[in-house]
Amino acid sequence: MKINYISFRQSITRLVLPALAVTLLWSCSKTVDEPTAGINTPSSLDENAGKWKPYVLASSDEIAVAQPKEATSDDYKAELKKVKDLTESVTPQQREQINYWGAGAVYRWNEIARELCARYNSPPASNADGKYPIPDATKPLQDPKFPFANPPYAARALAYLSVAQYDALVAAWNYKFKYNRKAPSKNDTSIKALLPVSDLPSYPSEDAVVAEASVVILKAMFPGEVPFLEAKLAEHKQSRIAAGMNVESDMLAGAELGKAVGAKIMGRARTDKMGSANNQAQTAAMIANARKIGVTEPWVSQEFPPRPPMLPTYGFVKPWNFDSATVVALRPEAPPVIGSPAFQKDMNELLDIAKKQTREQARIASFWSDGVGSYTPPGHWHRKGAELCHENKYSEVRTARTLALLGTTMQDAGICCWDVKYYYYYPRPNQMSSKIKTSVGLPNFPSYTSGHSTFSGAAAEVLAHIFPANKKEVDDMASEASISRIYGLIHYRFDCEVGLASGHKIGGYAVARAKTDGAE
Amino acid sequence: MMHSLLHKGLRLLGILLAFAGSLPSAYAQMPNDAIYMGKKTACLAVSYTHSSWDQYWENSLKRENLNIGTHTTQSVMPMLAVGITKNLNAIVALPYVWTRASTGNLMWQKGVQDASLWLKYRFLNKSGFSLHAIGGASLPASDYIPDFLPMSIGIQCRTATARLLASYRHTSGIYLTASGSYIFRSKINIDRDSYQADDKLYNTSKVSVPNAYDASARLGYLKKAIQAEAFVEYGACDGGDNIRRNDMPFPTNNMKSTVAGVYAKFQPKNIGVNARASHVLSGQNVGQSTAFSVGVLYQFRYAKEAKN
Repeated sequence: MKINYISFRQSITRLVLPALAVTLLWSCSKTVDEPTAGINTPSSLDENAGKWKPYVLASSDEIAVAQPKEATSDDYKAELKKVKDLTESVTPQQREQINYWGAGAVYRWNEIARELCARYNSPPASNADGKYPIPDATKPLQDPKFPFANPPYAARALAYLSVAQYDALVAAWNYKFKYNRKAPSKNDTSIKALLPVSDLPSYPSEDAVVAEASVVILKAMFPGEVPFLEAKLAEHKQSRIAAGMNVESDMLAGAELGKAVGAKIMGRARTDKMGSANNQAQTAAMIANARKIGVTEPWVSQEFPPRPPMLPTYGFVKPWNFDSATVVALRPEAPPVIGSPAFQKDMNELLDIAKKQTREQARIASFWSDGVGSYTPPGHWHRKGAELCHENKYSEVRTARTLALLGTTMQDAGICCWDVKYYYYYPRPNQMSSKIKTSVGLPNFPSYTSGHSTFSGAAAEVLAHIFPANKKEVDDMASEASISRIYGLIHYRFDCEVGLASGHKIGGYAVARAKTDGAE
Repeated sequence: MMHSLLHKGLRLLGILLAFAGSLPSAYAQMPNDAIYMGKKTACLAVSYTHSSWDQYWENSLKRENLNIGTHTTQSVMPMLAVGITKNLNAIVALPYVWTRASTGNLMWQKGVQDASLWLKYRFLNKSGFSLHAIGGASLPASDYIPDFLPMSIGIQCRTATARLLASYRHTSGIYLTASGSYIFRSKINIDRDSYQADDKLYNTSKVSVPNAYDASARLGYLKKAIQAEAFVEYGACDGGDNIRRNDMPFPTNNMKSTVAGVYAKFQPKNIGVNARASHVLSGQNVGQSTAFSVGVLYQFRYAKEAKN
């Protein structure tokens, strides 16, 4: 067979090549660029942070940190020499790690924790018997993975992380200014530090403190991630020495302090009643109570097979900024009676959206969905909080304080909201009408009040106090997060409005603490 | 020589939507045949496709999901094939797609999906053997939601396809056709600014969708008014991740499938009909769909003095 080469060649030039050119333009890069956090240069030393009020530690000197060796000692000089050698032989990969951690220790460990929340935010699949196996903390990587990092779980993990970082840094600041060891590059001017150097004393290292305290908490919260966390920890600590920011004894003292504070915080975690937050045996009594107070059609799982409700006794977990009696006192009024005009009005709104959800409503619902596989609403707000701290050039200790205020109020919001949910046991809209389907995934717990709204109200209240210039922005964000649940067709308007108002009230307790913790 | 209509084909974005079932386009009149419209003639085809599955592969685990039940994708797709010269055809198509799940609480989606344009060029034609270069591109034609699989009607990629096709047709009417393609797919924007892919958390709304490739072989008979064919198609992504345990599918998933099917057309005059059936034999990150299509075809001259 004779092949016609001319037409073959023509076809390549006329058709195939232009097509390829177009396609290559579209596909030349498959990488997606994420916003990068630059190196943080704190605008203040926050010299007095050693006197700020810790959460769990009795005081900033509860855990002793030994006096460092003199700057004139041979040991210290040897450490300086080692730092100098390291800074002069930094590899491009080390340089990248230095810059990465230079965005801030608290900032990065918060980001890591959010990623872990997302990775573990998977509800167990049902087995052949139609039952949902419970994750086993001793076999974290087996299916179903432990934990199921749902919103209450994530709220708590992030709260403990932030509190540990904060308490550890308050203690570190106390010793920093007590011992006042200058940064390596100030003791030996031949050391060229690879990150900006301030007058903040370098012993004990704030990075080591944060890294070790964070790892203690995160190993407990995500026991399947120990190797990952240890690798990050080693990288973080090494990056500081390679950057010329700390000598080894700065790091060791910080590491010991961070570990000790982490252990102390975990002591609280072990007795905060999270261990009994999934007591399914109590739901029968809860349902009976809901009927008694007038909820004629209590919530039932809309999953197939029916899934036990998420953490029905999370409302009894120990809150941070008030006591358990206040959780009950903060419980909002009952939702509308099912079938009443007030109920019907909000139901009609949903039926209307079900018929013609707009693209913008779908976008808002999806943006705030924070559902399975995401870092949950508390993670969403931690991200915002961390970004605001970074933009405002907060010091490590002030960043930690902000995220501790934010983290604790969000766990408080979760506790209060879960108390309300299981007190009223109110049905989801789609339980009341099969015409209502969702574009975001249906949560498996009672409707009233909206968790998103409560988390977001509390978060906005705290962030608006700390960043008054951003008050409108964060309030608008919270309102949008709240209404997104209506657009997503999983909440009645009254769930969202009451939840948002409750959240703001709950946030008020953290703000009250902020006003008296010595940082303002 | 008889002017045939083209069609069938598949793949337009079929592969993208493999999860939602082989799309309408799944048998649309894609250029993966060796049949050409004559110069100055055109064919308008409208097809209806019904595709459904009640089991899918979550990564490689085949499972059912009682919160979806039976997942159905239906579509209506008008398509126009135009003979520019006897060796160059253009095809445009625009499907309207709607999805539904028989149980559960996921909102059904519907809308105009992606518009596609294909150019098909026969650069060698000798003794029944022909070689074809085919280029295609598609663009989302509406602002549908990409990040709500398996209910989404598409994933909002712009695509470009480069395909080579070889065919041999015996004078008896029996033919054998084989093709292979590479499909470039653009990044997409989703409504969220954070998602997981490749075991990593991304803090952006941009999603890198893997490119894809496919291959197909078809054995058939074509003479006068009748065409009948059996085919096998394989499609997969060039990379991508897997559906996480008990999670929803995501546009970055490496969807793979092997599909077998039959196709027939009867067109005694200007007006004709066709039908297609296919079934996913094996896959990964896709539903095991069974699809049926029927279509009507109308062939006409769009300019005078048409010659073949």
